[in-house]
Amino acid sequence: MKQTRITVALAGNPNSGKTTLFNALTGARQHIGNYPGVTVEKKEGLRFYNGFEIKFVDLPGTYSLTAYSIEEIIARDVLVAEPPDLVVHVVDSSNLERNLYLTTQLMEMNTTLVLAFNMIDVARRQGHDMDLPKLSELLGCPIVPTVASRKKGIDRLLDTIIQTARHKADRPARPPLRYGKEIEQQLESIMRLIPDGHPLAEPYGRRWLALKLLEQDREILDRGWPEPMIQAVAQSVERIKKHVGDEPEIVIADRRYGVISGACQEAFRPSVESRHTASDAADAVLLHRLLGLPIFALLMYAVFALTFRLGDPLMGWIETAFEGLATATAGLWPPDAESPVKSLLVDGILGGVGGVVVFLPNILLLFLAIAIIEDSGYMARAAFLMDRVMHKIGLHGKSFIPMLIGFGCSIPAMMGTRILEDRRNRLTTLMIIPLMSCGARLPIYALLIPAFFAPCWHGLMMWLIYMIGIGLAIVCAWLLRKTLLRGQTVPFVMELPPYRVPTLRGVLLHMWQRGGLYLKKAGTVILAISIVLWAMTSYPKVGDEALAGLSEEQAGQVALRHSIAGRVGSALGPVLRPMGFDERIGTALIGALAAKEVFVAQLGIVYSMGQTDEESETLREKLRQDYTPLQGFCIMLFALISAPCIATVAVCRRESGTWTWALFQFAGLTALAYGITAVVYQVGRLLL
Amino acid sequence: MVQSVQLSASLEDYLEAIFCLFSEKGGIRAKDIARRLGVKAGSVTGALQALSEKKLIRYAPYEVITLTSEGLQKARQIVRRHEVLKEFFVEVLGVDEAIADEGACTLEHGIPKVIFERLTEFVETYKKDQVMTDTKKEASLADLKPGQKGTVLRLNPRGSITRRLADMGIGRGALIEVERVAPLGDPIDIKVRGYHLSLRKNEAAEIKLSVL
Repeated sequence: MKQTRITVALAGNPNSGKTTLFNALTGARQHIGNYPGVTVEKKEGLRFYNGFEIKFVDLPGTYSLTAYSIEEIIARDVLVAEPPDLVVHVVDSSNLERNLYLTTQLMEMNTTLVLAFNMIDVARRQGHDMDLPKLSELLGCPIVPTVASRKKGIDRLLDTIIQTARHKADRPARPPLRYGKEIEQQLESIMRLIPDGHPLAEPYGRRWLALKLLEQDREILDRGWPEPMIQAVAQSVERIKKHVGDEPEIVIADRRYGVISGACQEAFRPSVESRHTASDAADAVLLHRLLGLPIFALLMYAVFALTFRLGDPLMGWIETAFEGLATATAGLWPPDAESPVKSLLVDGILGGVGGVVVFLPNILLLFLAIAIIEDSGYMARAAFLMDRVMHKIGLHGKSFIPMLIGFGCSIPAMMGTRILEDRRNRLTTLMIIPLMSCGARLPIYALLIPAFFAPCWHGLMMWLIYMIGIGLAIVCAWLLRKTLLRGQTVPFVMELPPYRVPTLRGVLLHMWQRGGLYLKKAGTVILAISIVLWAMTSYPKVGDEALAGLSEEQAGQVALRHSIAGRVGSALGPVLRPMGFDERIGTALIGALAAKEVFVAQLGIVYSMGQTDEESETLREKLRQDYTPLQGFCIMLFALISAPCIATVAVCRRESGTWTWALFQFAGLTALAYGITAVVYQVGRLLL
Repeated sequence: MVQSVQLSASLEDYLEAIFCLFSEKGGIRAKDIARRLGVKAGSVTGALQALSEKKLIRYAPYEVITLTSEGLQKARQIVRRHEVLKEFFVEVLGVDEAIADEGACTLEHGIPKVIFERLTEFVETYKKDQVMTDTKKEASLADLKPGQKGTVLRLNPRGSITRRLADMGIGRGALIEVERVAPLGDPIDIKVRGYHLSLRKNEAAEIKLSVL
């Protein structure tokens, strides 16, 4: 019987080049999704080689296989629930000791292992002299040297995979790692207590189970063991603590490192002491006590500029293209004909899709920048530099980057929270991102500030608005971490990987995969919502006789008032009054739900101005007549705090994994905006 | 030979007292000795005569008492023995100083030479070790400055973070070097097992090192 299908799981530390190797192994034949219930990417790819169909499953990058992080639990579960034919462990050859730590744990899970010693070129250049055959013998599994970024060693790895998978049954059982007398004794006594045919004993193996119990692995401990078993484990733990003086899990980790050190000493000679690598030299500048932060600020500015400066002309093109498409579509009908289908196609669907696609250049560019920052190793440095500040509000250093992006657009910023590993941390960041005043709100400020304030105050007002946003974000993050998302602050134990030149292929792939997700998933939801909003502002129609004799602007005004949006706006009048808003502003705000910049255009319609933009002096004139500066300020405040657009709700749903958080965010921001604006308006009215 | 001069316990006490007074004031009178040892002047005279006969002191009634060179040597021996014992009680056994003094007084006279020699040796090496551990100070990782190194003595357990640190290779005996501190003063960048790891001072404070 000849097996032609092989399933291979790819395991490895973060930054070991696992993704690069995965790409090199599978090419473009990849399927990316999420593991059920969590936002950890699940990647699978196929490779046909020498008549074999090899399916690669890319496990999340982990340092260990404990229950420390969601990635580790997932990696472990995949190995147990869908046992692959073999596991390729991608090892960063220039950092053997820590990488091989995971190897010891994979061995304990009784997996058939092939080690890919990746980045072997870097290791050799750094002067690590490795006796691979010897190491292979010591570790009891084949070792293949690879350079994934230059596709070296790939065929040899594939050959080895096939060889190993075919002769799997012939391999002698590997003797288990020994943990010393004290631990072995306790292990044995726990193993004896695991009943025969226990549902966990089969997939995991007794020794592994006993080991995990002794390590006090929460995942395994909480699997409903009988009470005497739990007590026996607790006793064993106590005994080890007393005899060895440390928690068993620490002793076990130490022993594993001991085994590795032993193997390394025999087969591995760092011929030169590799203290000062180029990476260290780069850090001397990039993490410099005085230069570090200015350089970081400059780099962030560059990301920002790249995303929005370079993106804006592209956005313009897409807008023009969609306008052209809309005109062409409208041209299918006779010029004066009013057709609901035409309106749906032109205003609803094309308008809606256009509204989503128009962000694509920004998003792709931003993800390009993030991919470069991530792949080069600078992301960890950014977190290192900013952690002190972020830690104060209960967040992680890495949260700073999506928050910064939020000043441009909340959507890519929210998607950018994927760089955060801890779920609570990520949710908190996700929740506060809309408070970073995004670019779509800028037209509102640009319209209102000159309308109500003297030129000398313009800069200050703008600054004030942004600062209020940042201040609220800090308060909200702090509050969330104290209440709903309470929990240990995430310990900051983060590797600073060596700097690497990102590969073009890797960076583009990264960018495209994330950008594509935005188009595919968020696009559908946003489109649906756009159509709903279109219907709200278009229906019910006003009878032609009511519009007779009115100018086009006036007709638009009447039609909007008559529509659902207009009616809701009117109905909301009393509710909005405490904030100093009248129904005209209410109506404009309903339209602004689709996107904040629509507010200006809607206000234009309400005031029968026809086409308006933020430079419109006549609109400013009107506003000045009808509202006080306090009201003007309150409008800006409300626009700042309330959810930026309906798309953020969809993206938040996607990124948080549940509608609960998305709706909580929407409701929370709206309530916050309402409360603060009302208080400011009422207090302001008393004072002024 | 000086060593051959055998003294009774009480005479040893007298000699010791004379030595101490001698090094404090220079000239000594019988009444000083009586006051110091809390005895009657009459018993002092007898003891001084006995010491004088053994040529350990120069003594004539109503004159200043001085030690002969043999007497000085003998007295030094006795004092040294007292000190070694007292040191053993205070430093090794952790006994209160006053009680240690008293104990040393009681034990010093009857102690066989071999035991004394061994004891002296023990106290000496013990003290040297103490000095060593003082210079090879134990410190928490958070207190180390950039460029300083140390080996891990222990991790103070603090939940899952300890586990994580162990996973990352920070176990007993691991060599850690502090590379730098972030510009804002918190996290630090350390090198362990050949790679860079950053962690907050908060966590670093739980890692105890023996500084190299």
